[in-house]
Amino acid sequence: MSEHFEKAADRGLASCHVCGRVAEVALENCPRCESKLELRKPNSIQNTVALMAAAAALYIPSHILPIMTVVEIGVVMPNTIVGGMMTFWRTGAYPIAIVIFVASILIPILKIAALSWLCAAAAGWIHPSPTALGRLHGITELLGRWSMIDIFVVGILVSLVQLGNYMSITPGPGALAFAGVVMLTMFAAMSFDPRLLWDRLDEMAKDPPTTKDQSP
Amino acid sequence: MKAGFSKTWRALLSWPKPPGGTRYAACHFCDTLHEASPLEEGAAARCTRCGTVLYQNRVASLTRASACSLAALILMALAHVFPFLTMDAATLRKSLTLLGAAVALIDEGTPLLGISIVLFTVVAPFVLAGGMLYVSLPLMFGRLLPGSFTIAKWMHLSEPWNMVEVFLLGVLVSLLKLAQVADVTFGIGFWAFAGLMLCMAFAVAGIDREELWDRMEVARR
Repeated sequence: MSEHFEKAADRGLASCHVCGRVAEVALENCPRCESKLELRKPNSIQNTVALMAAAAALYIPSHILPIMTVVEIGVVMPNTIVGGMMTFWRTGAYPIAIVIFVASILIPILKIAALSWLCAAAAGWIHPSPTALGRLHGITELLGRWSMIDIFVVGILVSLVQLGNYMSITPGPGALAFAGVVMLTMFAAMSFDPRLLWDRLDEMAKDPPTTKDQSP
Repeated sequence: MKAGFSKTWRALLSWPKPPGGTRYAACHFCDTLHEASPLEEGAAARCTRCGTVLYQNRVASLTRASACSLAALILMALAHVFPFLTMDAATLRKSLTLLGAAVALIDEGTPLLGISIVLFTVVAPFVLAGGMLYVSLPLMFGRLLPGSFTIAKWMHLSEPWNMVEVFLLGVLVSLLKLAQVADVTFGIGFWAFAGLMLCMAFAVAGIDREELWDRMEVARR
């Protein structure tokens, strides 16, 4: 097998999640910045699953409810995220349509799928391949923020398009739900601890599954 | 040698070694334990197991972090004073400012959205850039201003919530949406914010977290 790597946790050492200082977990608080020391993020899988489930539940209303309502010469037009994207596509603004599709529709779904996969691997349901899955976790942390773009667009349009009776835009309940989706998935990604994947891998190496016969 | 001078001199030198025996570094990705040895400027230490960067010694870290965060603060002020977009529709002229967008959302009955826009585009960037300047500029002279440790913690907390670049893309998308109904032009605020995005990225990447905290620990004594 591969060479043995000693973990900080094996020696009762924890790296501070704020300043990175490695200290004995028995000290409870980081000697440098006084943050709480933990070997692993507490209840990581549980918290991630809970936040992710909440995000998934909010994802549906965020796409059904209008994110903004356009009132043009007395005509009220509710706009959903998908509707706005379709308008761009029809008018030939393909790059913008693709940006909105990726940021608002694809990324939240991919994030929820990726986090479910990570939690399943950390819980030992599927094989933890830490290098590949860890990269996946990095990508989800990096991409999540970009979904906020639609919320910013609503804010900008509401602020600019207040032209009295001619045309005005008001924010809709979908925007609030969507902002909730983005923030919850960000919190979910933050509460996941990738070190759990390596712990699981080491456990399997120490105690290999009996189905695999090892030749001498 | 005078004590004050030696303190200053130490800070201008590269990454000081904090007192208290052997230092360890644990990979934040796989938790493999390493002995933290000093690095040359420009070098990075990687985890022996998974290859993740443990820490890196940036070239002229404090100077870069202070300079870029000062520039970011100046650009931030400009971005608040000048409009991002100006729209001419019929006889009306409207301009967009950062706080204007947030106030409009609060006025239209979604205060939570307005507050979150302020947090992501005003508060988080300000805590990052202002905090970086407050901590790293005195550190160049081996000094530490009161509250630096708390501020450095806040910087770490606000980092993922800084969405300057996302807001810029949002401005571009809005511009294309509005171009069909009105004449829209970019204002100085937009360019200042674009500059702010770059300066923030350079300031945060300019100094490694471990180095900043090590220097703070040395300066505290």
